[in-house]
Amino acid sequence: MALEDPFSILEKYLSAEEYVVVGREFTRVDALDKALGRALFTEDYFIRYLQGNALFIKQVLSPHPHALIKAIHVDEAMGVAGVKAVVTHRDIPGVNQVGYALPDQPLLAERKVRYVGEVVALVAAESWEKAVEASQLVKVDYEPLPYVLDPLEAMSRTDILVHDEAGSNIAFKTRVRKGDVEKGFAEADVVVENEYRTHHQDHVYLETEAALAIPDSEGRITIIGAAQHPHLARDIAARVLGVPAGRVKVVVPYLGGGFGGKDDEGPLTISKAALVAYLTGRPAFIVYSREESIRIHPKREATIIRYKSGARRDGKLTAIDVTIIHDTGAYANRAPFILWRATMHASGPYEVPNARVDGYAVYTNKVYQGSFRGFGNPSIQFAVERQMDQLAEKLGLDPVEFRLMNILRPGSRTLTNQELDHSVGVGEALKKVAERSNWISKRREFDAFNKAEKRFKKGIGVGVAWHGISTSRGVPDWSNAVLKVEKDGSVVVFTGIVEMGQGSPTSSHVQIVSEILGVPPEMVRVVFGTSDAPDTGATHASRGTGIGGIGVEVAAGKIRERLARLAGDLLGVEPDKLVFREGRVYPRDNPERYIRWVDLVREAYARGVELSATGYFFLPKGKFDDTTGQGFAYPAFSYIVVVSEVEVDTETGVVRVTRVWPALASGRIISPLQVEGQVEGAVAQGLGYTLFEKLVFDERGGIVNADLTDYVIPTALDMPVVEKPIYVEDVYKYGALGAKGVGEMALIPLPASIANAVSHALGVNVTRLPLTPEYILQLEGVLRR
Amino acid sequence: MKVSFKLNGRPVEVDVEPNEILLDTLRLKLGVTSVKRGCERGECGVCTVLLDGEPAYSCLLLTAQVEGREVVTVEGLRGDELAEKIARSLVEQGAVQCGFCTPGFILTIYAGLKKGLIKNVEDAKKLIEGNLCRCTGYLKILKAVEKLLA
Repeated sequence: MALEDPFSILEKYLSAEEYVVVGREFTRVDALDKALGRALFTEDYFIRYLQGNALFIKQVLSPHPHALIKAIHVDEAMGVAGVKAVVTHRDIPGVNQVGYALPDQPLLAERKVRYVGEVVALVAAESWEKAVEASQLVKVDYEPLPYVLDPLEAMSRTDILVHDEAGSNIAFKTRVRKGDVEKGFAEADVVVENEYRTHHQDHVYLETEAALAIPDSEGRITIIGAAQHPHLARDIAARVLGVPAGRVKVVVPYLGGGFGGKDDEGPLTISKAALVAYLTGRPAFIVYSREESIRIHPKREATIIRYKSGARRDGKLTAIDVTIIHDTGAYANRAPFILWRATMHASGPYEVPNARVDGYAVYTNKVYQGSFRGFGNPSIQFAVERQMDQLAEKLGLDPVEFRLMNILRPGSRTLTNQELDHSVGVGEALKKVAERSNWISKRREFDAFNKAEKRFKKGIGVGVAWHGISTSRGVPDWSNAVLKVEKDGSVVVFTGIVEMGQGSPTSSHVQIVSEILGVPPEMVRVVFGTSDAPDTGATHASRGTGIGGIGVEVAAGKIRERLARLAGDLLGVEPDKLVFREGRVYPRDNPERYIRWVDLVREAYARGVELSATGYFFLPKGKFDDTTGQGFAYPAFSYIVVVSEVEVDTETGVVRVTRVWPALASGRIISPLQVEGQVEGAVAQGLGYTLFEKLVFDERGGIVNADLTDYVIPTALDMPVVEKPIYVEDVYKYGALGAKGVGEMALIPLPASIANAVSHALGVNVTRLPLTPEYILQLEGVLRR
Repeated sequence: MKVSFKLNGRPVEVDVEPNEILLDTLRLKLGVTSVKRGCERGECGVCTVLLDGEPAYSCLLLTAQVEGREVVTVEGLRGDELAEKIARSLVEQGAVQCGFCTPGFILTIYAGLKKGLIKNVEDAKKLIEGNLCRCTGYLKILKAVEKLLA
């Protein structure tokens, strides 16, 4: 059935002449329920349906950064009235192993603890108060061990090992070897070398982690919980319980934000609730307090990046030499993937003929590194883009002009020597945003302003970023969805993609179905976030629409082929001359000769045309050589440019970001309103990261500011003006209708653009984040470091 | 201890602990799930309610403190013209993403508009400073208010 071949379906809708729903104004279907407080989040299900039946789970955390567990005494806690279980590693019926990339992490600490805040035991009781009371009575005999907090120290020591069996504190290494770096630097007329440092950031999703597990009479467990990949959460819970995956079902309801954090912590939260439910036979509910959330869940990593780059007088980059060190913390989690991404993006979206990049993910006795919007990319693009500004300055070139001389274009080869054959709109995006922001005149205007003005200084900076879409290398990635048309013509889609605010299942997926089948959005219902749908992969890596939507597109495309054949027969028209629009199917040249969608569906049911389909699509990939870091890194790249304007108060050191101009080259824009929302939200989160959000650790590696009083995120007053994004729709042939991905994008170059703007304003070299008043005053030479 | 107050227009009497916070009473005892739990220390605003018409963090109020007073949540504003306008404007402007903070914003904006405290976007910005949103970057929320003022 060539007509139902996914490749031909993708090709067909990629080159459609016109879209009537996609790219247009669209009101997402979940917005009103959320606004009116009717949408249910995990804890709401507990309150509505299981309160009084479910046990409360309270976690017992390690107070030590590194210690042997000699014994765990649970008797006293078990003696508290209403306590039904105290669960430790000994009680895990399956495998106490939840590491994603490396098998280094227990669900509940076993033999030793590796960071302050590590979960050692779970206490389950009939009431929250009793669970809290009993959790304080769980006595753990610890034998404290020497610990290591600084990644540079950890790298060079083997006498203190976070993971003894690893034999080193280096959890994972990456490398790129391209061309001849020495020759490249010999050809360079200017060389810039710096060490950059970035810091830990917390996600601060306003809804903390929660899960509600419900056992049934047939030995199955259903968990309603906050996660970003229901199938992964199900698989991990099943492994912990030692049962087949089919016995566990995970439903992810509306999420109060995710940002990557619930991709890491979600399966663990869900496993904890599942474990208690499995052991007690009772429904069980876990919710993290804000303090627990900040202490326990993985963070955006702190980094040390040493970056040397050179360029010729004619403006061409000749070589880069980069060392990336990630403070991975106690467990690898997704650190290898994060480091890998940082490494393969270490050139920025530029042509670099010679490159040496070495990456190290380093264990320390601190909360561990995890997924967070941008996934290792914001810190490396910060370093890249600071380098680019300084090279431009040394060459006497305008920063935008210098970037354009080196920017990736169709036919370019990337850092990993991958040829980019299409979908490379970054140069155009850069040109357009420079024009729109009056870049050249603003640079001059601010230079003049800064000469005349003493206290306040103005700056404008650019940040350009690329972000590989899909999983790295040849790691399999696919999309899927099940779509069925009911007898009344309504359409139901099942997807594993979750709704965490981004609107993939409640906006873009609905739009795709509505576009292809020509049915009004009210007739489309997308059932999301359930492990009963086919595995759609995680809702991370900006893939909910661009990749998650492929399955929806292919499934809808298959159904349309079948119905077009039927309608063609009924109307006596060639199927490919038919239009599906607004609930009608008609020949393109004669809209009046239509058959109603509902009648066509009825005919299909009467004539034996199957109206259910799966939209499986496996992304084609290429080969990658890990020893040289050369080859096929990603199927395509999404690009973004942001220009930021700042005003710095040189007396107080306070930086105010006043205006941001974004330009996206991220393929088809399916829902402009939601894309704007992602850009503006990422600007806010990136602004917090750049200016003031920072986790502070005490001398034992405990987090000092584990609450929202001391860990401050942006409010409405901190926001700059964000201009309407410029779109360069450089469609990607295997993306949903050509979409690549947007969710993470604006956060990636924002720190760089702000740092460049501040460097411009003050004439200093920003090499660290966040840009706190103290750091700004140090840069001015007012405060000593 | 027994506490009586008016919730969304109807009188309620609940048996609470002396140290019980209004957030828990509303969510766990009265099933008012639009009031969310976010930080439990008066920083994020997802637990906002109207107390005698003023926005208040229900995590910072002991239930005993609302004896004899009037508590309103978005459930209580169903059918209220202004509240529905605010909700519609937020929806139309794309100001709702995850939606966890949205009911709190609606209450704060509602009280501000009702009392004439919001004359322009700058007023709105200052007024919503006590409500955190991690998804939208606030700009579309402010745009929704701006549309209402127009």
